[in-house]
Amino acid sequence: MTNEPAAVFEAVTKSYGSVRAADGLDLTVRRGETLALLGRNGAGKSTAISMLLGLDTPDSGRISLLGGTPEQAVLAGRIGAMLQEGRAVSRVTVRELVGFVARTYPAPLPVSDALALAGLTALADRRVDRLSGGQAQRVRFAVALAGDPELIVLDEPTSALDVEARAEFWEAMHGYARRGNTVLFSTHYLEEADTAADRIVVLDAGRIVADGTSEELKRAAGGAVVSFDLAGAPSAYLSDLPGVTEVEIRGDRARLRTDDSDGTVRALAARDAIRGLEVAPLALNDVFLSLTRGRAATPETEPVR
Amino acid sequence: MSTPILSTTAAYIGLETRRALRDPGFVISTIGVPVMMYLLFTNLGGQNDPAYKAVAMVGMAAYGAMGAALSLGTGVAEDKSTGWLRQLRITPMTPRRVVTGRALTGTVVVLPAIASILLAGALVNGVRMAPAHWAAVALALWLGSFPFTLLGLGNGYRLSAQTAGVVNVACNLGLAVVGGLWFPVSLFPGWLATLSSWTPTHRFAELGAALSEGRAPSATALAVLAAWAAVFGAYAAISYRRSARTV
Repeated sequence: MTNEPAAVFEAVTKSYGSVRAADGLDLTVRRGETLALLGRNGAGKSTAISMLLGLDTPDSGRISLLGGTPEQAVLAGRIGAMLQEGRAVSRVTVRELVGFVARTYPAPLPVSDALALAGLTALADRRVDRLSGGQAQRVRFAVALAGDPELIVLDEPTSALDVEARAEFWEAMHGYARRGNTVLFSTHYLEEADTAADRIVVLDAGRIVADGTSEELKRAAGGAVVSFDLAGAPSAYLSDLPGVTEVEIRGDRARLRTDDSDGTVRALAARDAIRGLEVAPLALNDVFLSLTRGRAATPETEPVR
Repeated sequence: MSTPILSTTAAYIGLETRRALRDPGFVISTIGVPVMMYLLFTNLGGQNDPAYKAVAMVGMAAYGAMGAALSLGTGVAEDKSTGWLRQLRITPMTPRRVVTGRALTGTVVVLPAIASILLAGALVNGVRMAPAHWAAVALALWLGSFPFTLLGLGNGYRLSAQTAGVVNVACNLGLAVVGGLWFPVSLFPGWLATLSSWTPTHRFAELGAALSEGRAPSATALAVLAAWAAVFGAYAAISYRRSARTV
């Protein structure tokens, strides 16, 4: 039973009018992993999560959650979730709310543990609708984990948080994941997916365009970034250099994406164009942009091939 | 392994009741205003007839209870917009238990409204009845408020938060006035009195008034009230099912 996957999407599609929010999703979430669904706004993250939780039904395809239907898993108290659009529940204290949700589950965490994991112990008797944005977000996290679920699903859990609150949130989340629980969260923050997740699934226009660890994604995208100061020299020749796949000029600095950094650097050295030369592995940001290029073309980027 | 259904539902009713009673607007409109109106209407302008004080007490308690029952629906509409109903859908509580718990919460939050008017009648206005009659009146007011809970839930599940609030207040005032909860129907022109006899509020108050005088309520009153309960129940069920697809 513990080897059965936490969640499986099989050829799942969902359209809203003419918008394909899920366009043939195939995904298996393994037990115990922390998986990030990464994508820009409108990529289909929330749709995938709604369907996973049984709040929405696919047009076609199949979703199984902990070996059964989403409804079965939710009713059995094996799922905890934090939805994106939630505003604070009015006129309840933190302890009342978390305590109530815990009672709806068959084998919940002690309320004090749930509050402690979410960093809410000191706020337990405050009213939820009188907390700051970051505090309210932690309340929603406590609500998601109160039932001690096997799988916790977080839709854009940090979207309203400042940097500090975000760090606190991920610390709390790690505490929960370390207990052997499966965590699936969506985000449009690359660095969050990079640091918080074991596995990143990149969604774009309702499709999965990449799936792997942050390292695997960078390796699969291939290459490196070579940058140097132009010092006023012309830049037209750069796209013809060996290995170069993309050229970006920002002010006086050229940034070359390359499949063959050695070749590119040698060619640049031959032309003595090495002022402030820097060779860096591809950042996740570059990987993300190239994966979702269809809608990512920024004015500064000129694709070469 | 399974959570006792009753204790979960009880916990839910407890939570929603606390949320309702902590709303100052709820307390003022369902307890403060009815009590104040009752005491004013029965003590100004030489309206010192004990029989009127008893009838007005029942009418105003019905008004307060209806207000409490309807405002529950306004709360549902708000919870729909804040995402609380959606969050409840991903707890092990079934949607059906949530809506049942909500309806049962209606039977709890009407109690302070009913009790405060009956206390004002007994303690301030000196209304006297046999203990069994008090009990019968209180019970009739309590049970008779249930159709209005259904109407409120129907509005709450069907309408947006803002619209539901306005519609519930309009239902509350309209049904109170036309039903004769504020002014006796004997003051109405003939056509309005006829219309009034078809309202659930008029029959609701009639139920309590009959019991306060130790009479059995008329079969017509019970039939009209039951018919409205069926209509509001169907309305609540349809609204609930429709919203279940979007919440």
